Amino acid sequence: MANILLTTKCNRACPYCFARQEMSDSPSDSLLSWENLIYIADFLQASGERQVSLLGGEPTLHPECVDFILYLLDRNFQVMVFTNGMLDPARLEELKGHLTEVNPERLTFTCNLNDPEQTPASAEETTKIHNFLSVMGPWTMPGFNIYRLDFRLDFLFDAINRYGMKRHVRLGICHPVPGQRTGFIRMEDMRQVVQRIYAYRPQFDALRVSPGLDCGFPLCQFSDEELGWLHRHRGLIQFGCGPAVDIAPDMNVYYCFPLSRYRRKSLFEFDSLAQVDDHLLKIRHEFKAEIPGVYDDCDGCRHLEDGLCAGGGLCRVVNLFVDEAPIRLPEIEHELAKNRLSS
Amino acid sequence: MSLPRIVCPHNRDLLQTFRDRTVAVRVKGLETAAAAAADVWESDNHLLCVIIESGSPLADLDFREEQKDLPLALMAPSCGKFRHLARRLDLLRRCNLRVYLPGSPPENLVSLRILSSVGIYTGAMIDGGVDWDALGDLMTYAVLERVPHAAIEPFAFIASHYDPSSYLDWGGLFFDNPENYLHLDEEGRVALSAAELREQRFVAPSISEIAAPQEFPAIRERLQAWRQYFVENHPCASCGGWKICLGKFAASGSGSQGCAGFFLEMLEVARQFKDRQIQAEGFQIWQP
Repeated sequence: MANILLTTKCNRACPYCFARQEMSDSPSDSLLSWENLIYIADFLQASGERQVSLLGGEPTLHPECVDFILYLLDRNFQVMVFTNGMLDPARLEELKGHLTEVNPERLTFTCNLNDPEQTPASAEETTKIHNFLSVMGPWTMPGFNIYRLDFRLDFLFDAINRYGMKRHVRLGICHPVPGQRTGFIRMEDMRQVVQRIYAYRPQFDALRVSPGLDCGFPLCQFSDEELGWLHRHRGLIQFGCGPAVDIAPDMNVYYCFPLSRYRRKSLFEFDSLAQVDDHLLKIRHEFKAEIPGVYDDCDGCRHLEDGLCAGGGLCRVVNLFVDEAPIRLPEIEHELAKNRLSS
Repeated sequence: MSLPRIVCPHNRDLLQTFRDRTVAVRVKGLETAAAAAADVWESDNHLLCVIIESGSPLADLDFREEQKDLPLALMAPSCGKFRHLARRLDLLRRCNLRVYLPGSPPENLVSLRILSSVGIYTGAMIDGGVDWDALGDLMTYAVLERVPHAAIEPFAFIASHYDPSSYLDWGGLFFDNPENYLHLDEEGRVALSAAELREQRFVAPSISEIAAPQEFPAIRERLQAWRQYFVENHPCASCGGWKICLGKFAASGSGSQGCAGFFLEMLEVARQFKDRQIQAEGFQIWQP
């Protein structure tokens, strides 16, 4: 799946934001144009890809967000929109007027919700999110980014019931952004995170909500019991790491947000999504040739060699290069320095 | 030379003044298209299409299921918001419809690309004020497609009909070629183009005066007007894009900064299009 960034503007400042650097490096008025959207749609269609995610910044800040969604749906794409849910009343009316007849199987909003107590929002922000979910709840599943160890999930279950949301929770682990200081979970704390998620099993099961894991969770941090539970909900579980294939409004492509400054290239330089994947996978192989994964045990790990686990997110591996400066290939060093990622 | 088709307003009495002609009938609104088509059929003429000269954007027009079989040429000032169009796209794709938008403002060039990409056939009405660079981008998109989409005229026509050894006039795509189309006003007076009709520059008081078009002085003169560019040594006559432009934009004075660059690029893209076709035809495996 490709991620299309409609804008680099955002109206929220989450403490863990892994897109902050990319957003601040881009012009504030950077908006995806119709011409480029059509080019991307053609590019993906020609590559056989029928799923797209719309991201930002906050994608609903794009003045033609609704038109873009309807256009992609008409082009037979399955569309996922990642939003913070903080929409102005006028924009919300547009969604209500034009998207509430769309089959929820074809359009999903993933609304990134923060714990109202641990990461409090202003009253205005809270009201906007409430209004969004009141209208778009049936098209929306909650997303939650874990950036502290005492995180709680209860409010997500409340939201699902209250707003009639899709009964699936996307759980993301906050990764470090190489060279930046953002809130993230350390690898040595990963087991604690997994145990805390599993502690919510009774609520997940009772409310028939399925948990979904975003990229970068290491397989070895889960017990067989925990894996069995996840498998029962979601089938085959991926413990991989992208590439996400993020396409910015300026048509640059990069591995993922944390690695947005690393070897980005224009989409116009590629003929197919497979070529983009090849380019991004080369980046991964370069790093992984030096450090297979974030744990010492990753070296020689059967699951990593079998491709069942990526050994943690690539951004964490790059972060090891940045923060700990081990012996590294000259080519990698050169790229890190060029992109201001070197320590 | 066959008789030119007639472009005339929707007027039953006027339609009765000639017969067995192919007619494109003009109406002001979509709601009268079906009645206009019926009147052409009743008049013992053949219907080419109904030209709807709409003052409203495409997205504001209320197309109906019963109109889907009518041959429609919609001349609209703009497309309107996609969100207002989205619900009607399924019907529009099933309609026997070509949408014509003016080439300027530049937003219309974007709209043409959008419409084409969702399967609506379109035409760009180009005048000298168009953004030639943006038009070039649209043309490249229209001809060198990555995935199938509906044709955008005149680019699709030029690419598929371009022959390096001859001239190509695409004015007929826009009812603008007296060899193919003559324009009548409410009184039946004849003009050689839509623009001349608007300016009330008539060449005959009625279509019956033009029994043999090739013999009619004004038409013959118009069809040979291109020669004047060479007589006058006009810059258009030495332009590389002449073969597919024929001086259409000489009056706009855009010259080498605009139309010339565009038509040269169009020629190159047309050549690439032909090369692709030849390559596609050239590769054939054995047949059992």
